[in-house]
Amino acid sequence: MRGTLAVARTSLLRVTKDRRALFFLIVLPIAVILIIGATVRGFSTIRVGVVDLGAGSAGRSLTVAMQRAGDLDVRHYATISAATTAVSRGEVATAVVLPAGMDAALRSGQAVDVAIFADRSNTTQQAAAAAVGSVVAKVGARVQAASFASSQAFGTYEADLRTAAALQQTNTQSRVVSRVVDSNSQTLPQGFSYSAPTMLVLFVFLNALASGAVIIETRRLGIYERMAAAPVRRSTIVLGETLAYFTVALGQAALIVLIGAVVFGVSWGNPVAATSLVLLWALVGAGAGVLSGTLFRTPEQASAIGPPVGIALAMLGGCMWPLSIESSVMRQLGHLTPQAWAVDAWTDLLSRGGTLASIAPKLGVLAAFAVGLLALSMTRLRKVVAQR
Amino acid sequence: MRPAFLIAGKDLRQRLRDRSAIVIGVVAPLVIAAVMSLAFGTTTTFHFTLGVVNADHGPIAAQLERILHEPGLRNIVTTRPVADEASAAADVKARRVQAAVVIPAGFSASLSAAKPESILTFTSVNNTLAGSVTTSIVSSFTAQLNADRLSLATAVSSGAPADRVAALEQAAAKLTVPVQLAQRPAGSRELKPVSYYSPAMGIFFLLFVISFTARSFFVDRGQGMIERMRAAPIQPLEILAGKALSAFVFGVASLGVVAVVTTAVFGAYWGSPVAVAAVCMALVISVVCLTALVIGLARSQRQAEGIASAVVFGLALLGGNFVFVSAEPDLLRRLALLTPNGWALRAFTDLSTRGGGLHTALVPVAAILAFSAVVGMAAAGLSRRAVTA
Repeated sequence: MRGTLAVARTSLLRVTKDRRALFFLIVLPIAVILIIGATVRGFSTIRVGVVDLGAGSAGRSLTVAMQRAGDLDVRHYATISAATTAVSRGEVATAVVLPAGMDAALRSGQAVDVAIFADRSNTTQQAAAAAVGSVVAKVGARVQAASFASSQAFGTYEADLRTAAALQQTNTQSRVVSRVVDSNSQTLPQGFSYSAPTMLVLFVFLNALASGAVIIETRRLGIYERMAAAPVRRSTIVLGETLAYFTVALGQAALIVLIGAVVFGVSWGNPVAATSLVLLWALVGAGAGVLSGTLFRTPEQASAIGPPVGIALAMLGGCMWPLSIESSVMRQLGHLTPQAWAVDAWTDLLSRGGTLASIAPKLGVLAAFAVGLLALSMTRLRKVVAQR
Repeated sequence: MRPAFLIAGKDLRQRLRDRSAIVIGVVAPLVIAAVMSLAFGTTTTFHFTLGVVNADHGPIAAQLERILHEPGLRNIVTTRPVADEASAAADVKARRVQAAVVIPAGFSASLSAAKPESILTFTSVNNTLAGSVTTSIVSSFTAQLNADRLSLATAVSSGAPADRVAALEQAAAKLTVPVQLAQRPAGSRELKPVSYYSPAMGIFFLLFVISFTARSFFVDRGQGMIERMRAAPIQPLEILAGKALSAFVFGVASLGVVAVVTTAVFGAYWGSPVAVAAVCMALVISVVCLTALVIGLARSQRQAEGIASAVVFGLALLGGNFVFVSAEPDLLRRLALLTPNGWALRAFTDLSTRGGGLHTALVPVAAILAFSAVVGMAAAGLSRRAVTA
């Protein structure tokens, strides 16, 4: 046991003294969590650009109504060309142009067309146009009512507009009652609660794969041979190396959990279940890391091939976007990776208040991955250590 | 100049023999583009099935059903008749339909009564977009119906006498909502995920040229190769030019292969070839300048690897190689324009969506070259010292 710990300690020291490794272990994951967390505002809000060419108070009330609509995220643009550029770049799904003199035209009883940029063939733009259309129709109804009442000499346009807005809230209107039928969310919450768990899964695995380079370097330097010259058993070396990889993976995961909770306010769900998940994922990472150290021939290979493999598996496993938006074939393919099971388990914990019992099947699959990877990698490492 | 070509040739041969360089420069971006195109191959368009319960069978319900089949909505909604409210809720829950709308019995008739019936929509947490689009469509429809009732109610509330209500009701029924949306073509091609992430990944892995070249320089120096070269009648500048040339050729080849293969195999659209070539060249020049800077700043191979990693991942994160930059908050989108890869991605996005030739890419290319000039000048003095030291 002492021998195992000594081997593990030596390998760990090499990692912690390497400032470059610390960059990948800590700085990079946190930076990625920050950027993705700030960007992923959910797959449900629609970004809409607004160009106000001097529409007056009617334009302002339409803008306010769009801002208050929960599913719209309004961004302002000064010119039509800036707005259409934003549409083409995908910064907004669609852009609305509030024409000059809109308020005056409406007051004088004229109809006003509000231009919206959306191509018929582009479904994202059409969905956005439908969402904007509903807000415009509601505001338009108030304008119609105010014009009508004031034209019949009942009240002023402004007063009638306020009356119409108040009446619109009462139940003398036919309403649309929306009911959510399920609470069984298949995706993680938005913001940092999305980016922190997915990037934990991605980076612990990716980093382990890339740090397979350390074993190759150890092999190259002849350290295993020197160890074998001492009265150290092969199994001690193998266990020690694996323990070092496990400790690094666990340390990185724990740090992400801690920073996620303290800095980004992520609530990681049931503590027992979350801890089990982190432990199992660190074991999967350790298995993958040691395996990478025995599969590749040069440190360059490990650090060249590790990251793309890690990123590709993370993409397949739902770390970069939810698997629920993919076809069922791709979802099944994704579940051939351990990442998908880990993300599923985090989704259960963060979105559905999951417990150890509810994620047990997923933990079972992850345990199978961990056992498989560890068995394979430790057997290979034993052979590597034995090589003279 | 011949020594520079010879050094470049030797470096390139070495690079080609090193399988990890090929993996990073060519295989990795292609593998990731393949995964992206598989993942999004069937989901680039937003479309959903809407369950419709028509318990009303009246004229207004028929009007709503007609609207759901309008040409503008046909691309995003397919309707499916559902027997009753309970089955509609069950269908949404079981994901047989993504959302449902229930038009209650007596809906049409209730619109002329004091308290009209409400329309019910069922949505799922797992498809909030389908839910909000459904609610939007139905809300637009009821807003039209409500506008006439609202007009009368407003007149009454503002003091219309009871004896005029019948006449006002008739007048209100003829009104149309005075604010309408008029759809105009956005005039741009849809940006498919594969068209964004192919260049994004190609550029990300291109940035690794910085690590490779800087590393190979220090390996050469460690082995006394640079000293031996200097013993020959070769200027330090020629040695640097040779290294830069090999990095340039490798970079252009790697990005070129990624562009050709992702276009031919995965259906990515990068834009006009001439403009794409200009952006690629400018970007590779900036990568060469960054490499020179890293070589100039570092004192050892280890330091070079560390600085290069920070530069590569820092640029990739800020420039939008990992996250669709357009979806980022304003500040991050501005920060992306401090990086050459951020400008390149903007150019590829514009070329892919708005088309156009070289003029579309002119500003990004100028920005990348300006960045290269600044970095290149900073690197010039520093890296010369690295050779002569």
